[in-house]
Amino acid sequence: MSVSREEVLRIAQLAELDVQEQALADLVAQMSRIIDYVAQLSAVPANGSVKPVVPGPDAIRFRTDEVTPSQLAFGPEEFAPDFKEGFFVVPKLGQFE
Amino acid sequence: MSDAKAVADRLVKAKRLNALLTPPKDLRKSLNAQAAAARPTGVLYGMPVAVKDNICTLEFTTTCGSRILEGYRSPYEATAVAKLKAAGALIAGKTNCDEFAMGSSTEHSAYGRVLHPLDKARVPGGSSGGSAALVAAGAVPAALGSETGGSVRQPASFCGVVGIKPTYGRVSRYGLVAFGSSLDQIGVFGRSVHDAARVLSVISGRDPRDSTCEDRDSLRLPTVPESLQGFVIGLPREYFPPELDPAVRRACDRAIRLMKELGAAVREVSLPHTPYAVPTYYVIAPAEASSNLARYDGVRYGPRFNGAVDLRGLYRSTRGQGFGPEVRRRILVGTYVLSAGYYDAYYKRAQQMRALIAQDFRNAFDRGVDLLFTPTVPSPAFKAGEKLGDPIAMYMSDIFTVTANLAGLPAMSLPIGRIKGLPIGGQLIGQAFLEDEMIEAAYALERVVPETDEA
Repeated sequence: MSVSREEVLRIAQLAELDVQEQALADLVAQMSRIIDYVAQLSAVPANGSVKPVVPGPDAIRFRTDEVTPSQLAFGPEEFAPDFKEGFFVVPKLGQFE
Repeated sequence: MSDAKAVADRLVKAKRLNALLTPPKDLRKSLNAQAAAARPTGVLYGMPVAVKDNICTLEFTTTCGSRILEGYRSPYEATAVAKLKAAGALIAGKTNCDEFAMGSSTEHSAYGRVLHPLDKARVPGGSSGGSAALVAAGAVPAALGSETGGSVRQPASFCGVVGIKPTYGRVSRYGLVAFGSSLDQIGVFGRSVHDAARVLSVISGRDPRDSTCEDRDSLRLPTVPESLQGFVIGLPREYFPPELDPAVRRACDRAIRLMKELGAAVREVSLPHTPYAVPTYYVIAPAEASSNLARYDGVRYGPRFNGAVDLRGLYRSTRGQGFGPEVRRRILVGTYVLSAGYYDAYYKRAQQMRALIAQDFRNAFDRGVDLLFTPTVPSPAFKAGEKLGDPIAMYMSDIFTVTANLAGLPAMSLPIGRIKGLPIGGQLIGQAFLEDEMIEAAYALERVVPETDEA
């Protein structure tokens, strides 16, 4: 296995993902397989002179510096779980039901 | 003007495919309201267009096939959707897809797999499998999908419809839920080249809300040509390997012969870095996904799963429970290749390879080739479950499509034959922003390919 159990757990922490204990063995095997597969890229000699590709317009277009009105069809009072007096209300951590 | 009831009836009739996520009641209600409000002067007046569920609409929820966005209503709509409505089209519900567009079979949806319209034991391809299946079943004449590595062309090939991925920057990504931002583009499905092309023409063009969208007018549709005289079609030898499915090869050979008969000059070319395209893609796309999907944390987006005692616990439980296995796997791979110590070996190397793949295409086009012709997928639609156990086998289904995404080029799939009733797709890859040439060649080929015959 090119990726160890400990590495998967560390990466999961970095990615802020809970990994269930019973799913771990399969995940280690699959990640190892994927990483082994993409590792063939390192077999190709590195060429420092290759410029990376950035698709899209060649230059960033600047916009005029002005306030544009919000185009939302409905406001946060509708899409937020809780919204009071202009603020998003979030539950106090440690007090979850 | 097709009436709203007939449109809804056709979609509800295709219910067994599990291709549409919008409940029939909501669909009927919205279609009635939309039909009453549609602009009769629009070029797509009355045309129902189904929309993949990772494209924001005001009419319906946008879940991306994920549990983490169950019931999510976007407070704004995608530019592509707004343009469709302005042209008089009816937004005909949201289509099932692989979760966050990650997959090649539409088996990775939290809302169940989509069935292939011609064989329910098989997959319709993915990730835009719902859109492809609905068009193939005749429920809608056209649908929107999205592409990061072939998610329009591959299901178009499997289902026997036309699928176009435009040049990166041709269509605004505003309102398309981000997966791999340097690769993502909205694409279109149509029953015919013309249906797909006219929808693409409507949704294309500049948009101040997306800085990666080119400052260009919308695409002008070419006329149907009498011949392919003057066209030079390149056949990249790396796309016709010895292990290619023999039926796919026969269908391609016939399409090539037909293009020659129409007057096209055909020559073999080489895109030598093609074998590295899939590993390159499966470094870059997960890397971008791991950062794009950071927003689904239970605070900014997503339900707050109970039981957390601190903020990181909240993030972890929300994401751990809200994402399906393929999305979790890709986030982990993306985080891995971007992490300290691995960045140079994987991510940087993949960026360099991407540049070489793009250079391969430029070299071919610089040598006088106008378009490239290849198979879209190495095989016809595979059976459900067949590739679920092995992520690499699933990824290989994109081997002929990911290159156009990596290079940002326009590409399309159109039906070129069948084997035992299952459709086979041929792919045309064009030069950046020359979709009109690509569509012109597709028009010509479509007219002569006997679509229903065995290849």
